[in-house]
Amino acid sequence: MQFAVLQLTGCAGCEVSLLNAGDELDLAKLAYMPLVVSTHDVPEVDILLVTGGIRTDEDLFKLREAASKVKKIVAVGTCAISGGVAGLGDRHDIRKHFLATTHQGRVPRMLPKCKPIDTEAEVDIYLPGCPPVPDLYVKLLNDPGSLKTTSIVCKECGRRKPKDLRPTKLTESIHKDEDPNVCLVKQGQLCVGTSTRNGCGAPCPKAGFPCVGCRGPSNNLIEKDANAWFESLANVFRRMTDIDPEEINEALRSPHLALFLFQFSDYTETELESRPKEKVL
Amino acid sequence: MSTTIQFPISRIEGHAKVVVNLDHGKVLNARFLAQEYRGFEQFLKGMPAEQMPVIVPRVCGVCSTSHHLAAVEALEDAYDVKPPPVAEKIRHLMMVGQLVQNQATSLFFFTLPDKLQATSIFGADESASKDVLGSISKKAMAVRKIGTELIAIAGGQFIHPVKAVVGGVVSGIDKAAAKEMRKKIKAAIPIACSLFDEYWQLSQKMTKAVGDWEGDDPFYYMIAVDKNDPTRPVDHVTMQKSDGSETVTFRPEDFRENLQFHQVQDSFSAKTSFNDLPIRANSLARMNLIESMGTPIANGYLERFRVQFGSPAHQILLFDLCRGIELINGLERADRLLAENLMDGEMSVPVEPRDGFGYGLVEAPRGPLIHHYQIENGLIVNVEFVIPTVHNNFSIERALTTMAKRFVHEDRIDMGLDSAMGWVVRAFDPCIACATH
Ligand code: SF4
Ligand code: SF4
Ligand code: SF4
Repeated sequence: MQFAVLQLTGCAGCEVSLLNAGDELDLAKLAYMPLVVSTHDVPEVDILLVTGGIRTDEDLFKLREAASKVKKIVAVGTCAISGGVAGLGDRHDIRKHFLATTHQGRVPRMLPKCKPIDTEAEVDIYLPGCPPVPDLYVKLLNDPGSLKTTSIVCKECGRRKPKDLRPTKLTESIHKDEDPNVCLVKQGQLCVGTSTRNGCGAPCPKAGFPCVGCRGPSNNLIEKDANAWFESLANVFRRMTDIDPEEINEALRSPHLALFLFQFSDYTETELESRPKEKVL
Repeated sequence: MSTTIQFPISRIEGHAKVVVNLDHGKVLNARFLAQEYRGFEQFLKGMPAEQMPVIVPRVCGVCSTSHHLAAVEALEDAYDVKPPPVAEKIRHLMMVGQLVQNQATSLFFFTLPDKLQATSIFGADESASKDVLGSISKKAMAVRKIGTELIAIAGGQFIHPVKAVVGGVVSGIDKAAAKEMRKKIKAAIPIACSLFDEYWQLSQKMTKAVGDWEGDDPFYYMIAVDKNDPTRPVDHVTMQKSDGSETVTFRPEDFRENLQFHQVQDSFSAKTSFNDLPIRANSLARMNLIESMGTPIANGYLERFRVQFGSPAHQILLFDLCRGIELINGLERADRLLAENLMDGEMSVPVEPRDGFGYGLVEAPRGPLIHHYQIENGLIVNVEFVIPTVHNNFSIERALTTMAKRFVHEDRIDMGLDSAMGWVVRAFDPCIACATH
């Protein structure tokens, strides 16, 4: 089964992660991926993985052309699924300035907005993550049936959540892991693992840094709007801490927070259909 | 009559093309044009300063660690804190992992196919022998993976690390994990060496085919590493003229007085010069300006390199060989670092955020990288990224022009111009996502 990777505007992290899966994948079947293969056009393949957002007219053109030649399209990574980091230039307070200073006759042309790829092509499967970890690629390409992501990051993190430990405020800006066995929420940190789909193995909270939600909303939330996500997190903090709900609310809704960029970055301004959960791995 | 020939360039990080401008069949110049843009310097404005170490790694998935650490250091500079020694060691290890990852990727995945006349290392094309490639690519992947595993063990995440925070790191490295990692490194060193020896042999042929690069100086080499440990960043940038006649150093906060920035209308990447001359950063610059690698096997390679090519050496394709020496050096260094106690002691110091300016300098695989932040009310109001690939841009274009002239004649264009353009670009290992950010 031949496959190809179309790289739109992103950081190449998704491709690097795929390379890491190399010992369990047959990369001789990789017919196209400009990062490591010099073939100039997307050939006819069974599966096309698309990384990065549609930021320029060239991205758009390449995607349309490639989509017509392949059987199945997988949107890989936050950028392809929701614009991700590539889409941050659309933040309403800077967008005008952003476009004004970047156009200046350069080619390719910047599109007025950075778009997720399913606005332009039919997507069969979504593989979220920034980037998705190698193991997810292995499953996707070798045995897609085995990929059932039904739970949340906490399941893979495994930190304890002692009932009697109830912080009363969010920690100051600097992260510190006081006890590597205790849930970071219980240490007053804004970890969103409770609402984020698993599958990554929880590397961040395991290392002592709060999950910023790069895998996107868990199955319970994925078909709902952003408010459901906020509410679910607010509930988690109400249940697990004594922090003033207002404080949580404010912290969560700050569109400048890193975690916001990975979860729901597309829900902020764009009217998008939510993705059916059976298509999201 | 003017015409142009265009080449898309693959096997580099990001989207770029080469354009050769001709006038009546004569090469006027060759340009290296970046084709993508995300606008980090703009959209970071208004974000909380302490979010930078999480967001800026996404500038580039190949050298994310450099941005992660440059961000942390810039904030530490602004807040006037110094991380504890263990944290420094863990960060150093993160950078070493980054170097191994990057040099292995560039060496085996980007440039080795050129030497084997293949489109990739994976043997998808029929032209090259599948078996040979199959065995090389397996070994290459294993060596490269050591790099990402080191980033993961030191940085928490294998691509966009999270463990460095302002004031230190969030956690140490478990002794059992360190031991396990050292075993893997020890097993990888001989494999990396044999791959590199093979690479050295193959490039010899190519170096001859390309010839030397007369007419390409003067210019400046640029580094920001310790002269006896090129994996260790220092607090200043060193510039040295190619004939060795002049050496200048400056601190990151003085970059504007020392470097000239040139914006261009046809590329999303700027270009930097020093005293209005081109700059060369990256592996060859480091090998030319340092005294020793500080580890035995890599020192052996450096000696062999200097005997064979002289010191300083200027041929473009030698960038590639220098990457190999650094790959071995990185593996040896990582082994040493992991032998230390990275689990006990204070991992971070208390931090008092405040407004002001901060500068962070690290030596990324492609050369000195500077982050500058201006903070007001805890929010970023101004950001500047000074990117190694941008320093190299003039040199890349000069080398491309020299190369194009060898292939383009008034009555004909010789075969192989497009591959040669690719070799030149890849020697500099440019990173377009970083260059344009
Ligand atoms: S999803 Fe993340 S890793 Fe993938 S291209 Fe976008 S920023 Fe890079
Ligand atoms: S630290 Fe985060 S991921 Fe781990 S259990 Fe707590 S909320 Fe869940
Ligand atoms: S723990 Fe959270 S932020 Fe880290 S990889 Fe998993 S989903 Fe992404």
